Amino acid sequence: MIDVAHISKAFRLYHSPADRLREILYRRKFHRVHDALKDVSFSVRSGETLGIIGQNGAGKSTLLKLMMGILLPDAGHVTLSGRITGLLELSTGFNQEYTGLQNIYLNGILRGMTQAELDAKRDAIIAFSELGDFIDDPLKTYSTGMAMRLAFSIAIHADPRAFVVDEALSVGDAYFQQKCTDRIKSFRNTGGSIVLVSHDMNTVKVLCDRVILLEQGEIREEGEPEAVINSYNYLLARKTAGREIIQKPVLEKGSSYGNFAVEIVSVALFNEQNIDSGTVISGKKCSIQIALKAHEEVGALTVGILIRDKFGQDIFGTNTHHCKKPFAIGANMSKVIRFEFDEFNIGSGAYTLTAAAHTGDVHLHSCYHWVDMIRAFEVLGNPEFYCIGLARLKPSVVELLQD
Amino acid sequence: MVHGRHMLNGAFIIELVKRDFTERFAGSILGSAWAVIFPIVNLAIYIVVFGKIMGSRLEGQSYLYAYSVYLTVGLLPWTAFANTLSRSTSVFIDTKHLISKMQISLPSLLVYIALSETITFVVTLVFFLLFLLLTEFQFSLKLLLLPVIFYLQQVFAFGLGLFAATMTVFIKDFKQAVSVLLQVWFWLTPIVYLKEILPDFFKKLLFYNPMYVIIDTYQTVFIPQHEINYFALAVMAVLFHGSIIAAYVFFRALEKDVRDFL
Repeated sequence: MIDVAHISKAFRLYHSPADRLREILYRRKFHRVHDALKDVSFSVRSGETLGIIGQNGAGKSTLLKLMMGILLPDAGHVTLSGRITGLLELSTGFNQEYTGLQNIYLNGILRGMTQAELDAKRDAIIAFSELGDFIDDPLKTYSTGMAMRLAFSIAIHADPRAFVVDEALSVGDAYFQQKCTDRIKSFRNTGGSIVLVSHDMNTVKVLCDRVILLEQGEIREEGEPEAVINSYNYLLARKTAGREIIQKPVLEKGSSYGNFAVEIVSVALFNEQNIDSGTVISGKKCSIQIALKAHEEVGALTVGILIRDKFGQDIFGTNTHHCKKPFAIGANMSKVIRFEFDEFNIGSGAYTLTAAAHTGDVHLHSCYHWVDMIRAFEVLGNPEFYCIGLARLKPSVVELLQD
Repeated sequence: MVHGRHMLNGAFIIELVKRDFTERFAGSILGSAWAVIFPIVNLAIYIVVFGKIMGSRLEGQSYLYAYSVYLTVGLLPWTAFANTLSRSTSVFIDTKHLISKMQISLPSLLVYIALSETITFVVTLVFFLLFLLLTEFQFSLKLLLLPVIFYLQQVFAFGLGLFAATMTVFIKDFKQAVSVLLQVWFWLTPIVYLKEILPDFFKKLLFYNPMYVIIDTYQTVFIPQHEINYFALAVMAVLFHGSIIAAYVFFRALEKDVRDFL
């Protein structure tokens, strides 16, 4: 259990550290104050995972450092029952010249373990890291993945009551990551608390029981992951309103091409609550809306959309022609076309949207306007049904009897 | 509060001391043996060069190595003192990578340096005492005072070190200033030369130099030219412990800023 009570922390910004001493001597102010945290209180119960989200500079890292005792608060206090350890800088306190085994002792003591404790646990640490005989080789011969595995093993065997994790875990290969995730889950099931800071809303949604949204050093919202993440996205959307997210107008024609007989004016992506927040939930309702303006009359207009993943691969694309909804547009007329999805069955991850206006089934015939990556959006995992990958297929499971 | 940042953590300090002797030489064939080789070579230089080759003698002393002994018993503790202080001065900056990532009690770092330098001192001293035994040096019972004087000087080095370490976070020049100060201080203390060669008014000033009282006691333990000034030692004991308290108060007042700046 972690109890954070009325924590405030201001950083005094000096031109040089020596100004701090000049202040004491001259009794005059030589700094600007930056309030990193203002009266922040919350607690994390045993077995609970708390997510902390917020924009850069919202005070997330400062909060973690205060919880770990690396920084001291101006007011308020942190109460912990038991050891707290960080997965912030896994390899801090490693010596490249030492063997893996020597580093277990070195790093373990830095994490607050005792010699006797380490003697008892070292075999378990080596076994979990799966380093085998490499444990007697100097650390400098290890690959990055091997060193990370060792570090994670030590951290998890420190038997903390609370873990502080900054950003998602990326330890070694997929196999080892899975092993770490399982270990963290069992840590939670045995009553350990986890505080997770991440920009990856998907991780937060899948792992956290409760989420705190920090904005400019204050708790803006606290509660169910979904609700808090939605307000966070709303916050981001409002910040960039009219420029990027809501009804993004197409301004830079450099990234788009065509003869502009018909122009794509804006594209919006609405989630199930009909909010254009830049995120949608996998398998839930969603719609993509494209606003057009015609400079000439076009008899057989086709509007298309294309979704690409973060590697630029085409995931899904269609157009009004294939949807068998042809339409026409008159000169100087505006139109809004909406593609509605009852179930947006794309896996969680980051995607981009490309839109096009042309004639016929493909844009090669007569392309009026093609805009690449007109906007980015994120698909969040759906806790109702967990799956991985790009597609969200929903199988039924049947057990067949055999004699 | 279960936070351990204000407590001195024994296991942590011992691990740091161990690291100090293994890490510096990790990957080399002789390893920690180098930690002993350096002091022994220095010792040999003091004894052979100053005793045998230059033939420096102390007046009224028949023992061949009298000057070598005089020089060595001043130089060994001074080296421990100077190393402790100068390493302490930059310890917060040097261990920034740990302090900014892990929960560490900052005074522990100074304790570890004082301990680490103590080990080097003790190892060298053992070799020196062996040499004295072999050359049939006349020991006096006052030798038992050694641990007490050494404890006192390390207390002083710790106090000054904590103050200097805190200052260095704010003013980087402090590190250089301390090494210059140590240079000047060394020559203001009769270690290499005898205090008899000093002008009278300067001799009176010597008592204001705490390290003179300490070094003079070491020299007297080995070469009994005059009585040990127990009163002066007692004054120093009070002064040195006071320096730790003052430095700790100063450090605690600025600890938050120290951590913010690192």
